[in-house]
Amino acid sequence: MAQSKELYEAILNGDAKKAHAVTQAAIEAGTEPMTLISEFMVPAMDEVGRLFEEEEYFVPELLLAGRAMKSAMELLRPLMTASGEKLSARVVIGTVKGDLHDIGKNIVASMLEGSGFEVIDLGADVSAEAFVAAVEERKPQFVCMSALLTVTMPAMKTTIDALTNAGLRNRVKVLVGGAPVTLRYAKEIGADGYSENASGAVGLVRNLLAEA
Amino acid sequence: MTGRERILAVLAGHKADHIPCMPITMTFAADILGVKYLQYVRDHRIMVDAQVKTAATFGFDYVSTISDPTREAADLGAHIQWYEDRPPAILEDEALFADKSVLAGVEAPDTIAGGRMEDRVRGIELLRERAGKGLFVEGWVEGPCAEGADLRGINRLMMDFSDDPAFVHDLFDFTLQVAIRFAAAQIQAGADIIGVGDAAASLVGPRIYKEFVWPWEKKLVDSIHANGGRVRLHICGNTRRILDGIGTLGCDLVDIDYPVPMDQARTQTGPQQTLAGNIDPVRELRDGSPETIALSLEALQRQAGARWIVAAGCEVVRDTPHENVRAMVEFAQTHEAIAMA
Repeated sequence: MAQSKELYEAILNGDAKKAHAVTQAAIEAGTEPMTLISEFMVPAMDEVGRLFEEEEYFVPELLLAGRAMKSAMELLRPLMTASGEKLSARVVIGTVKGDLHDIGKNIVASMLEGSGFEVIDLGADVSAEAFVAAVEERKPQFVCMSALLTVTMPAMKTTIDALTNAGLRNRVKVLVGGAPVTLRYAKEIGADGYSENASGAVGLVRNLLAEA
Repeated sequence: MTGRERILAVLAGHKADHIPCMPITMTFAADILGVKYLQYVRDHRIMVDAQVKTAATFGFDYVSTISDPTREAADLGAHIQWYEDRPPAILEDEALFADKSVLAGVEAPDTIAGGRMEDRVRGIELLRERAGKGLFVEGWVEGPCAEGADLRGINRLMMDFSDDPAFVHDLFDFTLQVAIRFAAAQIQAGADIIGVGDAAASLVGPRIYKEFVWPWEKKLVDSIHANGGRVRLHICGNTRRILDGIGTLGCDLVDIDYPVPMDQARTQTGPQQTLAGNIDPVRELRDGSPETIALSLEALQRQAGARWIVAAGCEVVRDTPHENVRAMVEFAQTHEAIAMA
């Protein structure tokens, strides 16, 4: 397990090569994928989130940690698929139609993935139809939408309306965020949750899952 | 005092008849003129009409040529995504320097070459002509870090700081040269101040800011001063952890965005630094009322003291009620700008 502790350190330090190598070694030593995820990766990303909130880590450190976490997940995902193991919840995430700003969305996606959720990242400039199709096909428990511009925020409501019209609204919790988005706006458009930062988004998903 | 005289007095630390008001308007100004934003960003004559009309309608002390972050990138040949009624954007997947080796073969373009940079320069000439000496005229360039993010892709740049530090310095050296030339042309065209938008800098912490960003921002500030211009630094977002460095750049004016408490900004940048801001453009200016806006500005004035200019933390968003913008201006116009002690 000493190698696994190194996984925690590698993610915290944003060292993707080391994260990949120690994960490979841990697998070869017989460590279960879910053990690596729950005991080392999730705590590492929780710590990354804490350091971000404390303004010790900033966006570069967050993205590097996310990349390191993903390099470990690349090795674990096929093993979990083969053994039928599932992550605790599935999240579809994207920046809304007309908005190309994806850095905040990328951070939230990384933090969610690192917190043990399966994340389906639809990218930026995602249409309401694409969100609906992803919900139909992938059957997530959560849809997360991001917007950085006040002029693209209305696409969040368009997407929620499209989910309603497709009869899918009750199947998912819809969470929204982004610099100009407010709790008031989230309530106005009928979202289930709002967070002003990535750590908050992770907490929101955890809380909603606990309530379900 | 004219708006221009008022701003110049406060920038110099002198007394003025009232506090100047310099809120950034882009889509809001296009709406005031009743034009689509695509027209605004592609034709300086429309932008000038919109700025002059907006300043006159609300009593602003200045007009600006800020419009979008893609003018330099467009002239460099980057792929720009245009929208009918919102600012153009850059497709990160098709970023000009997605392949790092491309940088070595590219030179800083001529500003006056019939492109989007020249359009802004012509806008300044026209604003100078239309505004005379009554209004303060602002030019705009992308800062070295923001332009680097535009050309490289912001996600890639954030990794480059760790993966390839030498490339980042080469990239910022290039974007600095672009900014220096562009700023010089705008100063020559009559700009009273050059806004330097370096939004991406708020994403990094003090270590990266000090090592990678500050040195190039400093060179740009010094160059603009050497060419006879003034500098307004605008970094959107939370700059709390880099404000110490920002305060030593020698900028004539530093914008403070809403996540930063104004009293902290004053403490960190010192009493000599003129600050602008920082009412929250969405939660306060758009969603508040004239009464709550006046209360917020009173608190900001107490925190900022002398050398303070009224502005929103970032752009006035397009659906802001006009009575709220008027309330912001009225506060400025009914409060004297005090001189430095």
